[in-house]
Amino acid sequence: MTESLIGKGREAIDWLLDSGSFRENLVAGERFPADLGPGAVVGSGLLDGQEVTVLANDAQAINEKFPVVYFGVIGLEEAYKMALAVYAVREADRKKPASQKRPLLLLVDTPGNAPGKLEEIAGMNKATGAYQLALAEARMAGHPVIAVVIGRAISGAFLCHGLQADRILAMNPGFGTMIHVMPVSSISRITKLDIEQLEALSKTNPVFAAGADFFYRLGGVEEIIDSVEEIRPRVIRQIGEVREQKAEGKTGPMGRAALGNERGGRVWRSRVIRKMEEEYAEIADSYRPWRKEAYGR
Amino acid sequence: MSRQSFLGATARERAAGLTDAGTFQELAGPRDRLTSPHLPVLGEAVSFDDGIVTGVGMVRQHPVFVISQEGRFIGGAVGEVGGAKMVGIFQLALAEYEEWKSHGAQEDCRPAVIISFETGGVRLHEANAGLLAHAEVMDQIQCCRGKVPVLGLIGSKVGCFGGMGFVAAAVDVIVMSPEGRLGLTGPEVIEQEIGKEEFDSADKSLISRTTGGKHKYLMRDCNVLVPDSIEAFRQAIGDILEKPYEEMEKCRRIGSPALVKEQLDVAEWLADLAPSDARDVWKAMGNPMAEEYPDMDVEEFLTHAVRRRRGEQ
Repeated sequence: MTESLIGKGREAIDWLLDSGSFRENLVAGERFPADLGPGAVVGSGLLDGQEVTVLANDAQAINEKFPVVYFGVIGLEEAYKMALAVYAVREADRKKPASQKRPLLLLVDTPGNAPGKLEEIAGMNKATGAYQLALAEARMAGHPVIAVVIGRAISGAFLCHGLQADRILAMNPGFGTMIHVMPVSSISRITKLDIEQLEALSKTNPVFAAGADFFYRLGGVEEIIDSVEEIRPRVIRQIGEVREQKAEGKTGPMGRAALGNERGGRVWRSRVIRKMEEEYAEIADSYRPWRKEAYGR
Repeated sequence: MSRQSFLGATARERAAGLTDAGTFQELAGPRDRLTSPHLPVLGEAVSFDDGIVTGVGMVRQHPVFVISQEGRFIGGAVGEVGGAKMVGIFQLALAEYEEWKSHGAQEDCRPAVIISFETGGVRLHEANAGLLAHAEVMDQIQCCRGKVPVLGLIGSKVGCFGGMGFVAAAVDVIVMSPEGRLGLTGPEVIEQEIGKEEFDSADKSLISRTTGGKHKYLMRDCNVLVPDSIEAFRQAIGDILEKPYEEMEKCRRIGSPALVKEQLDVAEWLADLAPSDARDVWKAMGNPMAEEYPDMDVEEFLTHAVRRRRGEQ
């Protein structure tokens, strides 16, 4: 067991970027208030001389306005702040060719989205949804989006901070990396399934077991990283690859779906979609009013 | 006309009832036996539709691609097969958009997607595959932007929570009944994680005030509030699809820098207000009759409701 990286979101920024280049709260010329959403760190810096935007979790920070936000939780302010940082780069680079759009780098160490009455009154689902849409828009516009799971990537928080990336890299489980929806004990309680059976299955079955290696088999994670020193060169290489492969649709959630098929962890998905395409092709013309002869309603 | 309750209907009844009579055709339906390969491993029963009805129907001249989740099967939770059925619907709708566009066809037959939500999000029995499917659905919703309108309907028993709460937030237009429930963290989970004093999950009226259709309408998180009948939801869909596409896009809550700034303002305003109950928020927005709202029918509620002002709070 190597040293756990949980809680080291800020250190990871230094491992990744060119020494001393990080400017917190400054993104594409836009300045973010220092007291906004302290659980999320946003800023810009240089990676191998190239300007990048970084979004990370700060597990040491406590959000005094929203008491359920601490230990890396993504709350309302955090999620909106991250969304606005993504949009800032997106807007600033709008007219640049795809090859020059700045990369967005996500350092992932979050245990969840904020659970609370105030959050639900406000509509926490919008906050995390907003960040995902912003990332998806930037990714589709040509910005390379690379996520590195250094600590916890749990359920909905991983959906919003990670799973919309072009590529996801994860530190190997020896670093204490945690990727899952729920621990087996909670799954057992909610589904009423026997915990011993679940624990035995969780060692071999990638569809519900916790861990980066299982997500790897499902295509949910592209690469596993085995040392802290490897983070920087891997991210640099991925940015280059993503710029080339994005146009072919080999990145992002759909790229990972194909990878899940290739790696044998998610083979049903493609069969289902193919079946739907076949069935629809048979009847499609009767749903096309613009093809008057075949439509016939 | 179907006055049948939306709340009490099955997912299949809703799908057929939301589209013009006799037009709904199921795709990847029960006859295809596309069941979860993961449930039998755990000794659990499967469903021939994996808890999601998918298909195509007409709403007037619009081809409409439908996803209807079934809460009676494992709470409508989404696994690998059900998630793939959702993604499949978006891919068909996007392909049909290209076909529609290439024919230079009229706005009144633009393809659309309708999702009837009844789910707590990820199916824990196949949690990792379910989670990855959620990310694909969010990707597809972004792909639909500017092309295919996506309408979300929430009026089911289970409501719409967990990862599917994000998906609902991301669609263009949300239609709810007062009985519908929308949120991220479900009441039981809040109680378990923070405590009963934060949220008493046995208090049905508290749940309704916090996550129900009336609160979401007042906050502008729901665009159209309708009474609990399949017919009312069907009417609302027809009215929405009759509007120009740009009008549907204006119903969005998130999805642009300006909208996100507006939502951040709402969050800050609420933090300052520190409400102990959603009713405090209604009163602060200018609803002196807030105490009576939960008991009003939709028609009466709509004559009194003062919604959140757009822009700065």
